Amino acid sequence: MTQPHRATLPRVVLAAAAAAIFLISAPAYPSGFQVMSQGAKATGMGLAFSGIADDPSAIFYNPAGMGWQKHFSVYGDLQFLTRTSTEFNGANPYPGNGVVEHIQDQWFVLPDLYAVVPLTQELNFGLGIFAPYGLGVRWDNPETWSGRFISQNAVIKSIDLNPTFSYQLFPSLAIAAGADVRFSKVQLEQIQGAVNPFTGAFENVAKVKLNTDMIDNTGWGWNVGLMFKPFDALSIGAAYRSKINVKYDGTAEFIQRLTGNPAFDAAVAAQLPTGTPPVQTEIDFPASINIGAGIHLGSGWTIGLEADWTEWSRFASLDIVFPTLVGHDVHRPTLWSDSWAYRVGIEKTFGEWAIRAGYYYDNTPQPTFDTGPILPDNDRNVYSLGVGYGTERFGLDVGALLIKFKDRTVPPPLQTDQFFGTYSETALVLVGGLRMAF
Amino acid sequence: MTKTRAQILSIAGASALALTISVQGQTPPTFHKFVGVGDSLIIGEESLCVVERFQQRSWVTIVASLLGQSDFQQPFIQEQTATSPLTGYPCLGATFDGTSISVGIVSQAGANQNSSLGRPYDNLGFNGSPHIRDFFDLKVTVPGRSDLDNHAAPILRNFAGGPFEGMSAIDQANSLGPDLLGFWGGNNDALDALGAGVAIEGVTLTPVPVFTENYNEAMADVSVAGRTVVAFNIPGINDLPFATTIPPIVVDPVTRQPVIVDGHVVPLLGPGDDAFPCNPAPPCGLPAGSVVTLAASPLLSQGIGIPAALGGTGLPLPHGTFTPPATLTPGVVLYPDDIAAIDDHIAGYNAAIAAATSANGVVLVDAHALFEQVTANGFRMGGLTLTTAFLTGGIFSYDGVHPSAIGYGILADEFVKAVNAAKGTSIPRPNFSPILFTPNVPSVPAPAVHDGGLWGYSLESWREWLGSIALPGGIQIQMPEESRNRGRATRVLTRSVGD
Repeated sequence: MTQPHRATLPRVVLAAAAAAIFLISAPAYPSGFQVMSQGAKATGMGLAFSGIADDPSAIFYNPAGMGWQKHFSVYGDLQFLTRTSTEFNGANPYPGNGVVEHIQDQWFVLPDLYAVVPLTQELNFGLGIFAPYGLGVRWDNPETWSGRFISQNAVIKSIDLNPTFSYQLFPSLAIAAGADVRFSKVQLEQIQGAVNPFTGAFENVAKVKLNTDMIDNTGWGWNVGLMFKPFDALSIGAAYRSKINVKYDGTAEFIQRLTGNPAFDAAVAAQLPTGTPPVQTEIDFPASINIGAGIHLGSGWTIGLEADWTEWSRFASLDIVFPTLVGHDVHRPTLWSDSWAYRVGIEKTFGEWAIRAGYYYDNTPQPTFDTGPILPDNDRNVYSLGVGYGTERFGLDVGALLIKFKDRTVPPPLQTDQFFGTYSETALVLVGGLRMAF
Repeated sequence: MTKTRAQILSIAGASALALTISVQGQTPPTFHKFVGVGDSLIIGEESLCVVERFQQRSWVTIVASLLGQSDFQQPFIQEQTATSPLTGYPCLGATFDGTSISVGIVSQAGANQNSSLGRPYDNLGFNGSPHIRDFFDLKVTVPGRSDLDNHAAPILRNFAGGPFEGMSAIDQANSLGPDLLGFWGGNNDALDALGAGVAIEGVTLTPVPVFTENYNEAMADVSVAGRTVVAFNIPGINDLPFATTIPPIVVDPVTRQPVIVDGHVVPLLGPGDDAFPCNPAPPCGLPAGSVVTLAASPLLSQGIGIPAALGGTGLPLPHGTFTPPATLTPGVVLYPDDIAAIDDHIAGYNAAIAAATSANGVVLVDAHALFEQVTANGFRMGGLTLTTAFLTGGIFSYDGVHPSAIGYGILADEFVKAVNAAKGTSIPRPNFSPILFTPNVPSVPAPAVHDGGLWGYSLESWREWLGSIALPGGIQIQMPEESRNRGRATRVLTRSVGD
């Protein structure tokens, strides 16, 4: 049996924290604003990894998988996410037939880092730093696009620090438990419109920016995992992550947009809040359960199966409170539903090389009435490919997801903002991962 | 809140299902000919006037466009630069005097540019405050007899020797053989009381039994086999900026916040009425529930209605009075008994409308509920919220009574939704992008008129508003003393609409 290595933990944490500094928002590719594409190997297998969990990204998928990892090891990923195509086709009554809009082309880069530290023969410590939730929807031509009064740019950023312990109760059974500290920030930008009394028409009169910082807005939760390997050909895993509530304190900024009519502009200026008044909101990030299996067929073939449940019903409303301003508070019912995703992945190894493929179907939790410019989500079919090279001490993996959203038509009459049309979107996720074991 | 939303969605879904079932088995009609009949809300009046700029934005025009009716003929009235004196009915707009935004005359109505059309117009709405009877009973207009005749004559062209002499609006509409007819009448049977600042049965309010009889006759006349008729009911006055903008209390003219004295708001002054007499003598504070119309704006600017202790004149704002046999002196305040009378009459009218439309298979658009809903919650579109606030709400025009172009867009949408729901048709809903963002300003040079008063409404606006009231035959409108003291609006408005 390989002896566990002892590592200098603070250096690992510092390195992880340094990587986390570069975290930015992500487009919401898995359902809602969840970001499930952690780990290049798992990505190549369609994220069907909770029943396999045989590399340090197990900390995210199923930390009980650490129970069979007997080396101090570090696994780092870089995720590159982009929308390859987006199109919104408007419909009457607003913004009207023939209106075509696009979400801005952006590349999002998300690093994540996992470390597994064996403490005893049975007890392992793991630390994961990752971004399980993120949102970035910035619309093209933000000052003129038809949904600017709802959102020009919506951002959720998050970083999780997830220290976890696993314990191998029996050679065939391991359990794990950990704490999950989430740092998060939100941004929302929109245009305020008002009727110009001289023309009777609506005009842009101000840009409103709501912003919170990352450090002061935190929440915490916990997670547990279990993995059972009744025989060599089969592993079964289950993991649970609790909900995390984050209360945000931030500031608002109202930046006037001049219309060219001095009298109207003066009237608007007299009514706009000055300075940076405080703003508060909160998000109940959902709990989740992952249930998966790994089936080792021999001759280097492995199949991963998984079903994931996410308690999106916790996201029942978006409430924004301006404690010092009257009449600006926002209460948006969202009424999301719990959602399921179904995943299958396959891996074939050739000595130290492996190729992977996968597929999953992800149901959106977002009801039609809430689907709009802040987040236009939908069910999606996702196809994955991956390749890896690995030894006991070293591994290099690349995975890719092609996410094909179903077109989502939002017809009258019940959309919250009365904004109607059809959203089409395709996205690509590329993940490169490096594993080092000592 | 969550449950409430879910319940709403559930109810809406159930309603949609019920609707689908109710229209199953019927072939939705295809409309080939749409005609509108009614008052100023049919012709598309905004800001006290009817000109092509407004007519092109009316809900009737929008619906005709959505139906693809390319030969929808209207009596387009030319918009002209306002002259002094005016040669046509004035159109109001926003003006700026360097310190405040006011409402004043920005243009005037000219001639009908489509007067030679050889058949009746498809839009047979006319302003001049027609009452419900006028749509079937005004068979011969007499230009010069009254403002009602002056407004109706170019549209109906049923004056002596005219091409349609002897044909009322409904007669002309029937002669066109429409398969879809929009009807909106009866608003002025109640609104005259608001404009005159007093509710008097038979003078500024049509008795409910009379209204009912007349409405029944109108519905019977327009309801023809194979035709879809859609009628609107009467909105409440509490949803009109003309009645809701000025609170019945003293406000700081700069901050627009209530003036507080000894911990209490200070009511504006009125003369009292039979139900709320001043004791021991006028003037006295307006009781809670009173309405101060926009017409009080220039009077408040002069300190009228404001206690002397707060820097005002101590004179009361005028309440409308009627001196038999035939003199009406209009006012700018309505006491709670006036409001109750108007509300009761509107409720009675709407009950009559509901019964008549139901009896004749007419589709009813509940404008009363629509405006109540918009007043309470605003109207959301594309992330924007429209309200019934004067000047800034977006839904009402500069007269505080007629809708704006945006308001007419909402009415067009309501019409389409009602027809589609009732008949299973798929008429497209209007596109609100041009409705919301297209400036609605005259293309002619504007005169510099800055007489808006404290709340942005001019005495001239009120005078023209009153000028359009079609009171029962022989009643004269005598302007109140306060206005004459100011040297404005001194004319006696004679309305002698003969039957």
